[in-house]
Amino acid sequence: METVSNGAKISIQGVTKIYSGKRGEITALKDLSLDVKDGELLVVVGASGCGKTTLLNLVAGFEAPTRGRILLDGEPVTGITPECGMIFQHYALFPWKTVQDNVEFGLKMKGMSKKERRQRAARFIDMVGLKGFESSYPHHLSGGMKQRVSIARSLANNPKVMLLDEPFAALDAMTRQVLQEQLVRIYEKHRKTIIFITHSIDEALLLSSRIVVMTARPGRIAQEIVNDLPYPRNADVQLSNRFMEIKRTIWESVQAEVMKSMEVETA
Amino acid sequence: MKNDHTGKPLAIGIVSLLIFLGAWELFCRFGFIEPLFLPAPTKILSRAIKMVDNGQLIAHTLASTRRVMVGFLVSSLIAIPFGIFLGSYGFFRAVFDPFISLLRPLPSMSWIPLSLLWLGITETQKYAIVFMGSFAPSLLYIIEATKGIDPLLIRAAKNLGASRLDVMREVILPGSLPQIIAGLKVMLGIAWTCIISAELVAAREGLGFMIMNGKEYFQTDTVLLGMVMISITVLIIDLVFRKFEKRVLPWRQ
Repeated sequence: METVSNGAKISIQGVTKIYSGKRGEITALKDLSLDVKDGELLVVVGASGCGKTTLLNLVAGFEAPTRGRILLDGEPVTGITPECGMIFQHYALFPWKTVQDNVEFGLKMKGMSKKERRQRAARFIDMVGLKGFESSYPHHLSGGMKQRVSIARSLANNPKVMLLDEPFAALDAMTRQVLQEQLVRIYEKHRKTIIFITHSIDEALLLSSRIVVMTARPGRIAQEIVNDLPYPRNADVQLSNRFMEIKRTIWESVQAEVMKSMEVETA
Repeated sequence: MKNDHTGKPLAIGIVSLLIFLGAWELFCRFGFIEPLFLPAPTKILSRAIKMVDNGQLIAHTLASTRRVMVGFLVSSLIAIPFGIFLGSYGFFRAVFDPFISLLRPLPSMSWIPLSLLWLGITETQKYAIVFMGSFAPSLLYIIEATKGIDPLLIRAAKNLGASRLDVMREVILPGSLPQIIAGLKVMLGIAWTCIISAELVAAREGLGFMIMNGKEYFQTDTVLLGMVMISITVLIIDLVFRKFEKRVLPWRQ
């Protein structure tokens, strides 16, 4: 296999992932290829069970592809790497650590001095609007606050790529909107490469610079849409005509996939 | 009126204890019970005062407490890191599993003859008994505790750059600490059982020795006093342990 870097930040090349269990094999992803450019906010949309999370787990190095490969800056991903910071739907904060210590965790692992850590963490805690909660423990925080800690923890570690696995799905609608806008602002400011997974088309449109719709299992790419809604964005963008236009296009393709997956289940 | 009893269980408990002791005292005073079998509470109290005066009661209590603490601490300090290591590596768990499985069912009493043969009637022998009685069960508690960790947290830690050692120190240890401490509390009770048995069999001091010696000289009040002292000491240590638990687990409150 040639190791030609095509300039993409992340290059997913012909990836297939098969899980073998007691009841036979499940093909979660099939021959999926996708490039993510530097500074892109790519949102992957798909119905549940389409292998979106699998895709993210492969990029993060939590699992290895059955076939194909994934390159980060032209280098193959061979294991878990802090270069791809993951944000989990259920936050995965350390309950025994305060907000401050959670945000400092990655820096501590890097061997940064305590003083430097404090300062850097404080900056990111402030950025996500949690100043004053430094010494709180996670179980005293609301879901939205926990997810903000998780985002600060990832940002403080300065990963090349941020991977977000339906991070706002468990939050109430109001909190979700606040966090979506906050993420857009962070993206506009830092221009990090981000892969964001969701099943919400509205969320995809609000956040993304590009949208990929995945097919029902086995997961492949059904459609790609460049989201040309201008940044800086806020929730008001949802009222524009262009928003509705793109939404209709995606909805048709997602709907077709949902119908297909239902047929598979009843077959 | 029905909910008026909240906050009073302690008072109720004290009254109930006093009534029990009063009845016991009366039964003895009126000669219903042979003092050799069961001396009156006041008899036990006067024995306690006598033994506090000559320093024996404190000396015996401290001797047993010291033995429990040394044996228990050594056992815990080895079992905690070793248990976390075994909890993290399935291969080594499989290697040590047969030994732990065979050691665990052995009551500490069964180690007494061998320990006397190897170490004589020494302090080391007492520590060894506590250690042998509590090490294998502690280890099992700790391995079990590490299994309760959310695998997502381990994943998150690795994603933030943690090595395997970091994961053990930063995730598995603090994450399983509540269960480990719960297990150690049970083990502390077992450590007391160990030391009293060892002292009953062969010792020159300690509460177990005091009880056995009291029996030899038909001083039933000394026997009962020894038993009461064990209860009180264990209760006090339990309270101290609870304070310690609150200090090391601030995030659980």
